[in-house]
Amino acid sequence: MLGPRDRVIGQIYIEGDLRVGGVVEGEVEVTGDVEIDDLAKVKASLAGRDVNIRGHVDGAVVARKRLVVAKSGSLIGDVRVGRLVIQDGATFSGKVSMGAAAAAAAPAKAIPAPAQVAEPEPKVVTAPEKPAIEVMPAPVVAASKISTPSVIKTAAPAPIKTAAPAPIKTGAPAPVAELRVAGKDGGKAKPVTAPAKSKQNKKKRR
Amino acid sequence: METQEAIADSTPVETDGQSDSKRDGQKRLTLGPNDSLEGKLTYGGSLAVEGGGRAEGELRLGGNVEVGSGSVVKALIEASNVTIKGEVEGRLTARDKLTLGKNAKLNGDVQVRRLQIEDGASLNGYVRMGDFEQQAPGS
Repeated sequence: MLGPRDRVIGQIYIEGDLRVGGVVEGEVEVTGDVEIDDLAKVKASLAGRDVNIRGHVDGAVVARKRLVVAKSGSLIGDVRVGRLVIQDGATFSGKVSMGAAAAAAAPAKAIPAPAQVAEPEPKVVTAPEKPAIEVMPAPVVAASKISTPSVIKTAAPAPIKTAAPAPIKTGAPAPVAELRVAGKDGGKAKPVTAPAKSKQNKKKRR
Repeated sequence: METQEAIADSTPVETDGQSDSKRDGQKRLTLGPNDSLEGKLTYGGSLAVEGGGRAEGELRLGGNVEVGSGSVVKALIEASNVTIKGEVEGRLTARDKLTLGKNAKLNGDVQVRRLQIEDGASLNGYVRMGDFEQQAPGS
């Protein structure tokens, strides 16, 4: 449910129903029903099962079951529908494809869209995973504060934020002194190799 | 066709064409179950194709067109109001309103001022809606 003051610009995929009262721009795909309220302004392609338009829509519409343009509604765009109802007073311009061919084309279009939505998510997730590995040795190396951040800085900008504050918080003033002496040799070796691996990994993945 | 119109104007009570009925003082041509029309019709009044009647070609009407259920029209249609309950194939222009009944089938591009489609109707083609620039119907 997007209220009259809500605004969405981008790609929306919803498992369920969607009701729009505000402004939407981009691409909307809904597994359930879509309802566009009177005051809504939609500049997007819409895909849903039942699509009910009472507001203003500019864009292609795919209704796997039925598209209704109410008398207050206006729709400009090509349409693929199973069934179509246009009430007297409604505005509609565009190409209408109706029947079995349109219904068959609708789910085919629906499958690649969620894949596109799903792809960017793992990309975002994989990036934080790498610094997680670097965070592990970080508390151990807490002693070599000065040396490790400089290495990490060159490795990637993102882990600095996660890695740098961590040793400061965990590394209380007393243990830091102890670790400085003990962990210098072993500590240096670990952080150097770890970021190096992450560097290679990043290069490979990208 | 013009002569037909002239006759109809001068003697409005008289019938012409296949079966002409009077309704609200407007000329009206009706094609019934055993009637068919082939060719170009230019007519000031209205045309009704009913009960399995057929029409093919070009229909340019000053009034309305009504295609009843079971009737088939394959024609370029131009009229004020067009009401379809049967099957229509061809380019259609409604200077006022196009209505598709629940069992209507329409294949063709459509230009209308107002449009009403009932649930169950079938439509395939481009729909253009808006104010009418009176495009030359001579083509």
